[in-house]
Amino acid sequence: MKICISSTSPNLDSPVDPRFGRCQYFLIVDEKGKLIKSMPNQGVQAMRGAGITAAQLVANEKVEVIITGNVGPNAFGALQTSGIKIYTGAFDMTAKQALDKYNKGELKEVNVATGPGQFGKGPGFGKGRGQRDW
Amino acid sequence: MSDRFKQIVVTGGKGGTGKSTVAVLLANKFVKEGKKVILVDCDVECPNDYLLVGQQLDKPVDFIYAQFPKLIKSKCKKCGLCAKTCKSNAVFQAPGKYPVFLPELCSACGACWLVCPEKAIKPKKVKTGKVFASKIKNDLWLITGEAKPALEETGPVVAKVKKFALNFAEKKKADIILFDTAPGTHCPVIQAVLDTDLAYVVTEPTPMGAYDLNLILDLLKKLKVPAKIILNQADLGNKEKIKKIVRKYKTKIAEEIPYSKKLVKAYSKGQLLNYKNIKI
Repeated sequence: MKICISSTSPNLDSPVDPRFGRCQYFLIVDEKGKLIKSMPNQGVQAMRGAGITAAQLVANEKVEVIITGNVGPNAFGALQTSGIKIYTGAFDMTAKQALDKYNKGELKEVNVATGPGQFGKGPGFGKGRGQRDW
Repeated sequence: MSDRFKQIVVTGGKGGTGKSTVAVLLANKFVKEGKKVILVDCDVECPNDYLLVGQQLDKPVDFIYAQFPKLIKSKCKKCGLCAKTCKSNAVFQAPGKYPVFLPELCSACGACWLVCPEKAIKPKKVKTGKVFASKIKNDLWLITGEAKPALEETGPVVAKVKKFALNFAEKKKADIILFDTAPGTHCPVIQAVLDTDLAYVVTEPTPMGAYDLNLILDLLKKLKVPAKIILNQADLGNKEKIKKIVRKYKTKIAEEIPYSKKLVKAYSKGQLLNYKNIKI
């Protein structure tokens, strides 16, 4: 089983990058915690849709679990369709520590987006601006 | 460009410099000179010109649509070409799964259904904008474009409002068509500026006004639209920065509008048409 951790640099001793879509690196490890691969996040500079680019990159690696701090609405929506499990709340710790916490069952699997997305977008726009309905 | 009527755009970069005010005053001035004028509110995300001339928007005279992708699962072979092609990161596909379209990121460009070898993506028509037309007075009409709130890409809405306005101008045998743009230098502003004969750039003598003036003049240069500056509230603040930029782009300040409480009052009450003409 492959596990992906969002990270600030390409090794397991570096701090977890709490932003999934705009993290610096993805670390891919096996279930024993061995680093298989580290990939720079090509989507980090995307104007929009960084979360989707990141989700696509990770999904293509056939990972089954993602460990990160927060996941935005776009990435979450996409990852939900892929069956990848998302564990969030890995703040202020190294990738290795986050992996330990995951193995001990101390990280939470999420079923809703936990972050606001880069542009603070969320539900609740729609109607209401101006006097006319759409 | 049209031989029949002149196309003028009022823009400015910074928000709140008086673009709409100047657009309305200009329109009124041209009418008083005996011209037939169509004023077009291209600030489709918050169109306000109708309020400045004391109007209400009644029923739309036209609707604007865009086409968004819809997957026909029975035809899809999960090849992934749509996800690879999309430049807006609006198509996601997990290995071995069907692609997913994210409407929040989609710019409705149509690339995904054009590349699909199985023709498994169908364009689905969605209403993205409305067009309103109001007769303000003799020889003056206002066309207002309004984009659906939370729509990602409003540039195409502006393009279609313009198209409607150009047809309208032909029918009315108008002499001048005046486009009032949104602030900024992004897609909806570019669409409004494209193919016009002249731009009036409304700015103010502040560091923010100067910074944004530089950006909009750069854009106008790229789009090859000649620019003239209108300096609003010209007697407040410092003009030096503005003058430097004006020299850099070899343009000129066509008019300076001093701060006027009377003008602000006319603006806030929707009575701009009763206000005295500007000179240019």
